[in-house]
Amino acid sequence: MNGAELVLKVLQQHGVDTIFGYPGGAIMPIYDAIYASPVKHYLCRHEQGGAFSAIGYARSSGKVGVCLATSGPGATNLITSLADAMLDSVPLVAITGQVSQAVMGTDAFQEIDVLGLSLSVTKHSFMVRSADELAATLNEAFAIARSGRPGPVLVDIPKDVQLAAAAEPDNAATPQSRALNTSLAQSAQARQLIAKANKPMAYIGGGVHMAGAMPQLQDFLAQCLMPSVTTLKGMGSVAKDNPYYLGMLGMHGTQAANIAVQQCDLLICLGARFDDRVTGNLKKFAPNAKVIHVDIDPAEINKVRFAEVSFLGDMRQILPAIASSTDCSDWLAHCSNLKQQHGWRYDHPGERIYAPLMLKQLSERMPDNSVVCCDVGQHQMWVAQHMRFSHPRNHLSSGGLGTMGFGLPAAIGAKLARPQDTVIAVSGDGSFMMNVQELGTIKRFRLPVKIVIIDNQRLGMVKQWQQLFFNERYSETDLSDNPDFVALAAAFAIPGHSITRKDEVESALEAMFTWPGPYLLHVRIDEKDNVWPLVPPGAANEDMIMETN
Amino acid sequence: MNHTLNITANNEASVVERLLQVTRYRGYQLAGLELTPMAEKAGLSITLTVSSDKPIHLLTSQLHKLYDVRDLQLASADIAALRA
Repeated sequence: MNGAELVLKVLQQHGVDTIFGYPGGAIMPIYDAIYASPVKHYLCRHEQGGAFSAIGYARSSGKVGVCLATSGPGATNLITSLADAMLDSVPLVAITGQVSQAVMGTDAFQEIDVLGLSLSVTKHSFMVRSADELAATLNEAFAIARSGRPGPVLVDIPKDVQLAAAAEPDNAATPQSRALNTSLAQSAQARQLIAKANKPMAYIGGGVHMAGAMPQLQDFLAQCLMPSVTTLKGMGSVAKDNPYYLGMLGMHGTQAANIAVQQCDLLICLGARFDDRVTGNLKKFAPNAKVIHVDIDPAEINKVRFAEVSFLGDMRQILPAIASSTDCSDWLAHCSNLKQQHGWRYDHPGERIYAPLMLKQLSERMPDNSVVCCDVGQHQMWVAQHMRFSHPRNHLSSGGLGTMGFGLPAAIGAKLARPQDTVIAVSGDGSFMMNVQELGTIKRFRLPVKIVIIDNQRLGMVKQWQQLFFNERYSETDLSDNPDFVALAAAFAIPGHSITRKDEVESALEAMFTWPGPYLLHVRIDEKDNVWPLVPPGAANEDMIMETN
Repeated sequence: MNHTLNITANNEASVVERLLQVTRYRGYQLAGLELTPMAEKAGLSITLTVSSDKPIHLLTSQLHKLYDVRDLQLASADIAALRA
């Protein structure tokens, strides 16, 4: 056995049966080992796409995603995806080939210091110097990727290490990792704060489902009976029938969520991090609220907002320990009124398709447990506002990094992780072109991914900001020379259809869902449609701009 | 304000880069750095002095998360100042 074969063996020991990547010179020994391995490799058409597929696989399944790339440009193409995984806390192991150690440091062909490049975009990164270290290093990489706050780990393996003789690995021993201590010392204080609060509010992020604490969250909300809001990554955490769930908060959050959070007197932050897109002007965010902060990452406590009481550790233990009955019926009634008063409106003049309504129709028509993968921009916010999800693993959106080009490859990974579930990539005309080459991956593996392109022939979110904050100077946001997306899909043997009118939507969705294979639905919308509400930069969350016409 | 951190880290090739990268990114100015290899495989003893108006816990909490950092202590003068 050589080092390359050992890599595949260790992946199997970790239960990995699906990997994504792209071959090249410095990783050829590993690709040679793949040739005879039961681990299924999915050839993507760009390393960034491969890593996004691994992220989609990980986020939709809860498993560790694995991707491969060669040295030099292969590795640099991974950087954006690693950063995406870092900011969205996605467990990912990226394996890169490196030039042989004999020429390392000489600017050899396709040599780049990927370890150095990885420092700020990974949870940790390794350079393996000897085949003897390979198994232990890979074991450690998996442990780091999935432990505590998950994240990406890079393992850089020189070609000579891949080719060197290696001993058969032991069964994957669980490597030592830092123990996670859950201290409940302040739980009495937290219960007291909750019991005495007049206006408590639960602010729920992606950390809850990543901790496997969805059942404990429902129990907590039932026992404590308080309204709740979620972040982009927390959407789907609260049961659909919870009457006091107010939706997403923040820059494009619901009016009810933003108004209620500003009014609350106790904010219970669960697995979230007071991101600037959530808080708006931090100094004016929830100004009268005391904060209870529960997280697994010590660096998030008191990072941007002081917490009167904080807990580190396992959300599954902490939530029941701090649950306390509340006495806030007036507040609950007030929040229900806000929700009623500020519900979404879907009346829209004219025949042209209104994206929020179309996405609502898509949401109502898609099968239960469908996975929706977004790109970044206006369509991403419309998806968050107007579609409903039963679990955060059903809504994959690039939250922290906001990476255009995420959606299509993420959908490929999600479809491979959950072949029984419908997977829909909702993209914009700008984002779709960022990783359009992954249509080739869909074609090769005949993956029945449904693609919906919301096309306003603009970089819509940038255009919206130019309209509102840059005196309508539309610098470089016109995409009116977009390709014919249906013809483009046809070139990859993917059927499609283009629609422009509201009365075409239902039948077009029906055609897309009943077609057994991949399908592209091109939805042309009016470039004048914008995302509302919007909290302007520097403003408090209650100062939302609403649609004026 | 200057803060002095006493760090014990694994003696890995990239560990100093990692400490300096986090220090720079989180907005702290490097004011001093001393390295002493400890006995074989015992690691590196690092004294890192940084300057910033930001609270030092915003840096120590990030440095402490680094995989190769085994122990991190604020120098006693810093602790006394925090308690004052």
